[in-house]
Amino acid sequence: MDKEILEIKGYSKTYGEGKKACDDVNLTVRSGDIYGFIGHNGAGKSTTIRAVVGVLDFDEGDIYIDGHSVKDEPVECKRITAYIPDNPDLYENLTGIQYLSFVADVFGISEADRTARIRDYAERFEITDALGDLISSYSHGMKQKLAIISALIHEPRLMVLDEPFVGLDPKASFTLKQIMHEICGRGTAIFFSTHVLDVAEKLCNKVAIIKQGRIIASGTMEELTHGQSLEEVFLEAVNE
Amino acid sequence: MNRNIVLLKTLMLSTSSWNTYKYCNDKKVRAKVVGGFVGRLILYAMLMFYSIMQCVGYGQMGLASSIPVLCALVIAGLSFFLTFFKTNGYLFNFKEYDMLMSLPWKPSEVAACKFLYMYIKSLPWYLSVSLSMMVVYGIYTGASVAVYPVWIILSFVMPVIPMLIASFFGFLIARAGAGFRNKTIVQTVISFVFIFLIFAGRFFIENMFREDKTAEVLSSISAATDKAASVYLPARWFASSITTLSLLDMALLVVVSSALFAVVFIPVGRSYRKINSALKANAASRNYKLSGDAGRNGLKPKSLLNTIAFKEFKRMTGSPTYMTNALIGELFCVIAGIAVLFVDIDTIIRSVLQDAPVTKEMLYPAIPFIVYFFVGMVATTAFTPSLEGRNYWIVKSLPIPPRKLYQGKMLFNMYLTVPFAVFATVMISIKAGVPVLSLILSVVLILCLCAFSTCWGAVCGIKHMKLDWENEVEVIKQGTGVTLYLLPNMFVTMGLIAGVVALGTVVDYNAVTGILIAVVSVLTVVFYKRALAKT
Repeated sequence: MDKEILEIKGYSKTYGEGKKACDDVNLTVRSGDIYGFIGHNGAGKSTTIRAVVGVLDFDEGDIYIDGHSVKDEPVECKRITAYIPDNPDLYENLTGIQYLSFVADVFGISEADRTARIRDYAERFEITDALGDLISSYSHGMKQKLAIISALIHEPRLMVLDEPFVGLDPKASFTLKQIMHEICGRGTAIFFSTHVLDVAEKLCNKVAIIKQGRIIASGTMEELTHGQSLEEVFLEAVNE
Repeated sequence: MNRNIVLLKTLMLSTSSWNTYKYCNDKKVRAKVVGGFVGRLILYAMLMFYSIMQCVGYGQMGLASSIPVLCALVIAGLSFFLTFFKTNGYLFNFKEYDMLMSLPWKPSEVAACKFLYMYIKSLPWYLSVSLSMMVVYGIYTGASVAVYPVWIILSFVMPVIPMLIASFFGFLIARAGAGFRNKTIVQTVISFVFIFLIFAGRFFIENMFREDKTAEVLSSISAATDKAASVYLPARWFASSITTLSLLDMALLVVVSSALFAVVFIPVGRSYRKINSALKANAASRNYKLSGDAGRNGLKPKSLLNTIAFKEFKRMTGSPTYMTNALIGELFCVIAGIAVLFVDIDTIIRSVLQDAPVTKEMLYPAIPFIVYFFVGMVATTAFTPSLEGRNYWIVKSLPIPPRKLYQGKMLFNMYLTVPFAVFATVMISIKAGVPVLSLILSVVLILCLCAFSTCWGAVCGIKHMKLDWENEVEVIKQGTGVTLYLLPNMFVTMGLIAGVVALGTVVDYNAVTGILIAVVSVLTVVFYKRALAKT
């Protein structure tokens, strides 16, 4: 435990006309952390997250996952990472089970393990019945649940989630929070963005606030809040 | 199972109609799947028929030995252009990019799997051509039994090299375009310049041969294809493998195709993430000011149909795949319209028709159809209903009847085609010395043809609307609506060009044009009503 799983060092991302979407971002997520990443719309949360999971190219700095550089060893990084985008684009013409089987194949999960994990998570998210249907027939929330199960199937060491609670019903949100605690207890690190400050406050042990591409505050929940609510701290920070 | 095979298998499954048929309980959807399958079979049959007739012509002229070269060249041309127009959507900027790239694949593996997926999806088209030509070749030459397995195996290999070349050019264009703010426009312009250079190059090579005093040789169609094969080596290897069963040429074709496949994706892989990051990035300038001028703010009210047409225009300019495919015919119109200012019409006729006994006067009634061959190649209405995709809810939730949406899409296609078609028709007609009355009739006919194309496209596009696509190429290039629109339209237009030229030699060509205006108008009205019947 307490090993650095995700290290973002001096990460900057510049778009076309020289506008910096992220500027010198530094943070560390350790094994067992549930790390919340909060900020306004367009602050740079998704841009950072997409760089962490190796989807987005970036200019300066580096990102390390369990000691592997995202720039130099992207495949090694991805083997131990799971990513759930804010609006998962899944293969609509596959059935839920075909999609999960695809992800399990990619990570080389044995038949027994994949069956057990799919059964467990599908039951907890109550979508077992729908796994034989085409994903195109799923609601947004069901797609989100399927994306979450696919992310859990290979027991990642780092889980990166972009707005994971959007579209989930209250029960599924509760289940996801439970699962997050469980896997963190087993040593997985979780880094996720959210706009729901209440959730972040209750769920996370660490938080970073990003504003216009720069981290303006970060640390453990206690360090940041000092008895205030996270909402108050956040509003103070972003209005400065 | 190898992870790359897993990806390829999943890519195939994710767009397989069979999977939809098997797991979807909606009878309407299943009927659509069956209809689409039958439609595709009909189109393959049409392509086979066309290929067979072409080879029968060769056989009848005693040129059956040139059929393998012809086959190789046709497949090379088809696969090159089909791939070139699809590369941008398949290899780059695809919808599930985030999901795929977050999984443990190297970028080069993702690109290679995407290429193989594109190859497998296109294979039925190439096999339709190749296998039908093989049958005619066998009948006319009495080829030995050994020829057939060789031909069949090499049919799978033949498209690889041209597809790789086209993909590589697509990659270079995407890479160049990725560095600009207006990426879509830049990529489209580079693509068009590239296409123009290819066509110009074709004429340049042909003229070079002519100046080389080989005109007599080129006058034979067989010799022309053989000459082309001398330039394009894989065609020669294929032909030689068939005609002499040369193991060396067979091996060359297979080894070079495989080696090229292995090599091409090394540089593609290196820049893959960079290109996709740039193509997907939309930098926000955050400097918008809401002034009091509605015109400057883009808030000036427009009519409903114009609003939809404008939305369609913005959709087009946001996608290189859409723009390249939609504007290719218009580009040819511009080139043709300008080219006639500098090149004599008789020279063009001689160049295109290989000294066939056709005068420019004989071509007068065919001018609108020649122009229509360009602008009618693509009707945006054949794919824009499908292109709404998951955004369909936006228009569905608006307080407008669906027919208004389709009418707006039709209007956009008219805006797109009419100016270019009229420009080309007028320019060519004036340069050819078409009398004023005939010119007016030609303009009326091309207007009718544009309307016809729009409505026929709408019939195909609405009837075969597919909203749950994974990649816009699926609907723009490969949609059932587009294919149903394109092939009959193309073959009929080619037939009509020959038909009106022949008819114009025995009947007053103004009368021919007049009758065609009436026929096309009636068909347009019929298709317009048909397109909007169930909306």
